[in-house]
Amino acid sequence: MEYLSTDKILVIDLATSKIEETALDESLVSEKIGGAGITKHLYEKHLNDDPIVIGTGLLTGTTCPASASGLITAKSPVTGKMCHCPVIYKVGIEIKFSGYDYIVVKGVSDKPVYLWIHDGVADISDASGIWGKDVWESTDSLRKFMGDDLLQTMMIGKAGENRSDYAQICYNYWSSPDRFGLGKLFGSKKLKALAFRGMGLIEVADHENFVRRSLEILKEIKTNDFMTKKGIAEIASAMGEAGVEEWLEPIVHRHSADYFTPYATNTAVFLDEDPKRVEESKVAEPGVLISDVLALLAFKKLGLSAEDAGRALKACAKYGIDPAAVAELSGKSSLKEIVDSFDGLSGTVTLKGKGSFSPWCPLKPIFNDFGLSGDAAEAEAWWERRQAVAMIFGIQPIFSVMCPELSEENMLELAAIGTELDLTQEILDRVVADLLK
Amino acid sequence: MNLYQSNADINIKLPQGKAGYISKGNTDIRISGVPDPECRRMRYPRIGIYAGSGTSHSWLWFVDMFERMGFHAVSVLDAPAVRSGRLQQMDVLAVSGGDTVAIAEALGEDGARQLAAFITGGGVYLGACAGAYLVMNSSKPHLCHFNFAAVKITNLSKRLPTCQSMPHKFSIAYGCEHIFHPVREAVGLRLTGVPPFSGEPALLVPLYGGPGMLAPPEAQVLARYDHFTDKTVFLVDKDLAEETLISTAAALRVPMGNGQMYLFGPHFEHPHYHRANRLVADAVYWDSRRNPDECSPVARDALQLPTSESANLIHSLRRELSNSRIVAAGLEMFPVWWLIGAKAYEPEKIRVFLDAMWRRLKPLEKRGRIWARAGVPDLLMADACETTSLLRQLKNELDQGSVTDPTARTLFHLLHRNTMRFFELYFQTISNNLTP
Repeated sequence: MEYLSTDKILVIDLATSKIEETALDESLVSEKIGGAGITKHLYEKHLNDDPIVIGTGLLTGTTCPASASGLITAKSPVTGKMCHCPVIYKVGIEIKFSGYDYIVVKGVSDKPVYLWIHDGVADISDASGIWGKDVWESTDSLRKFMGDDLLQTMMIGKAGENRSDYAQICYNYWSSPDRFGLGKLFGSKKLKALAFRGMGLIEVADHENFVRRSLEILKEIKTNDFMTKKGIAEIASAMGEAGVEEWLEPIVHRHSADYFTPYATNTAVFLDEDPKRVEESKVAEPGVLISDVLALLAFKKLGLSAEDAGRALKACAKYGIDPAAVAELSGKSSLKEIVDSFDGLSGTVTLKGKGSFSPWCPLKPIFNDFGLSGDAAEAEAWWERRQAVAMIFGIQPIFSVMCPELSEENMLELAAIGTELDLTQEILDRVVADLLK
Repeated sequence: MNLYQSNADINIKLPQGKAGYISKGNTDIRISGVPDPECRRMRYPRIGIYAGSGTSHSWLWFVDMFERMGFHAVSVLDAPAVRSGRLQQMDVLAVSGGDTVAIAEALGEDGARQLAAFITGGGVYLGACAGAYLVMNSSKPHLCHFNFAAVKITNLSKRLPTCQSMPHKFSIAYGCEHIFHPVREAVGLRLTGVPPFSGEPALLVPLYGGPGMLAPPEAQVLARYDHFTDKTVFLVDKDLAEETLISTAAALRVPMGNGQMYLFGPHFEHPHYHRANRLVADAVYWDSRRNPDECSPVARDALQLPTSESANLIHSLRRELSNSRIVAAGLEMFPVWWLIGAKAYEPEKIRVFLDAMWRRLKPLEKRGRIWARAGVPDLLMADACETTSLLRQLKNELDQGSVTDPTARTLFHLLHRNTMRFFELYFQTISNNLTP
């Protein structure tokens, strides 16, 4: 596969330390397009080895607006079914830049390891130095060892190592869309982390036309009223949650967007530093980056102050545990009790949706109505399809429920320009149907 | 059309014994398979590039230029190699930028004698910037052994003029005097039409500290500084820059025995200046006359590695170069530079060396089996691993605000050495594949 691709699939067997590379066949892209379409195919191909399949969308890391997302496809310890977990921030794009479109991790290692994926090279490295450390310490340790502050990681903390059902794979230092307990799966394989970095470039078939159309779509997107807004509290407000902006505002330091995403879906709050500080903080750990609006709201509903909610989210991120599960199952309303509940957390979490896509992304349109009538079943079907399409092309999932201009037609058009493949609505419908069945 | 293509095409044919001619005429068609009355027959030259002590990264520009043009019989030489006589196996020696005095010191009297013997024996000397200063008459220590050309330097002064910008790039001590650099970046030249620099009335070239020159009677002026451009950065007052450079010689052809010295103030070999590159190639074709019976040099002491060993070496090199490049890219965010010898090195220079190797891994992979002298692959890998280690140490020191100069000096020394080693292996692999 020559375009929008590194042309490489990596298969790592942790049991044997065998590393194999295969080419990504153009025929597979013509049939499955990319992203979840292909990770599902690879998952089924390696099913007997309980695989974790990490992948990127066909448009991930391009000039297509919001093409920030990668994904992890694996069997969820929470649902017992195959799921697709978005990979956000700058981690999703780094998978592709590090030299691989898809990475299959199978087997179980006999000792703690991490995978160092860089410039088309894959190394299985000893993780004994970071096993037992929390997510933040481990991320710092890897970045320091590699000498690179921009290293992008998928990391488990103690929850994953201890195989908690609610263990979350964290991205860099932060909580992730993992509602599926995939951290437990990492832990059961003795896989502490994946670290990605690369300086690869992606070839585009008709690059001038691709950039031109991308900018045209971006221009259309910028006509939305939501372009004057930013941050997670605005998302909460758009979901109908009152008072979140006022509650959170005193500790907001900044908002940040995922790669090339026109809306800043993440909000950094300062907990141990003046939030109004402009210069770089002198405090080692001044706060936390929040991307999980539902977890934030859940802590608010437990009666926590914004600062304590921030501290709870920070503690979850360090421990590598799903904050939404913690909020739902702990039943506690003080920060200390919540943090103390991590070890013995048990119960059944409520996962909205059909379990294939992460309900970390709000299950309703944000800022726009997408022409929906208000019928719940219609909204759920719309959300499932919207997530499936986002996971096929590599679109930031929350932005995909904000922005009608990022239509299936536009994504297909960009994919066709970028690859010179005849990717039609019919093919997309077939791939989506396969993902939703 | 790719300006390098005609050179690359002819350089495939020359080692096979096919005839090619370079015309003296003032025409765009300077290279052909058909002789004309004033043409010279071209030979496929063996080229040495000096990359030893005293050089900066700019010897890699000669590597890029020659490779693009299909000159693959290239050897990268350090000072001991020059002193030991390897130069006598070459047709061309290219010396690019760096610290002139340090180069002269490294080569020493023995190196100067070897260089003189090489040129007088019919060799072509290409000296750009420091490489040009090196062979100009001087009474200064070390340089005094290289009094091959009675060229006067116009940017030499007992008293330094006022520096207007880039003080760390402005001047270098030259005995009790100073070489100062009036401008940097692109300048405009007017060509004189003297062969082999025919067919180009004017061109732009980059100047990074090279001289303005006053030619001795025996020399031919090939190009003069004509004007500054909107890209030119002035390090002194503009009037002084004009007075120092404009109308002085920017490129000279100076005879010495049976050989010729081409002295370039600007970097004609810079990879972004394709038209200037082509003139350097013309100079090589025009004056390469040594050892006319030998046209296809082979690294006879190299051995061909087995296929699996070759693949493993490339994979291991890719791993270490990737590790190094990732750290090096991060270092470029630091506002730091190091004075090594008389030259300022910024973090960006690290990746110049690493990328020069990195982008040749795929071409090397396509060649299949690698040619290398015994032990070279192991040394190459050991230094590549040490480079990553030093880069990580440097990053750590910068994070902690520690002194980084000793680490940086060791690092650049290592980068030089390993890049030279890599290109020895690289050109051995390519040139051996040229041999029938």
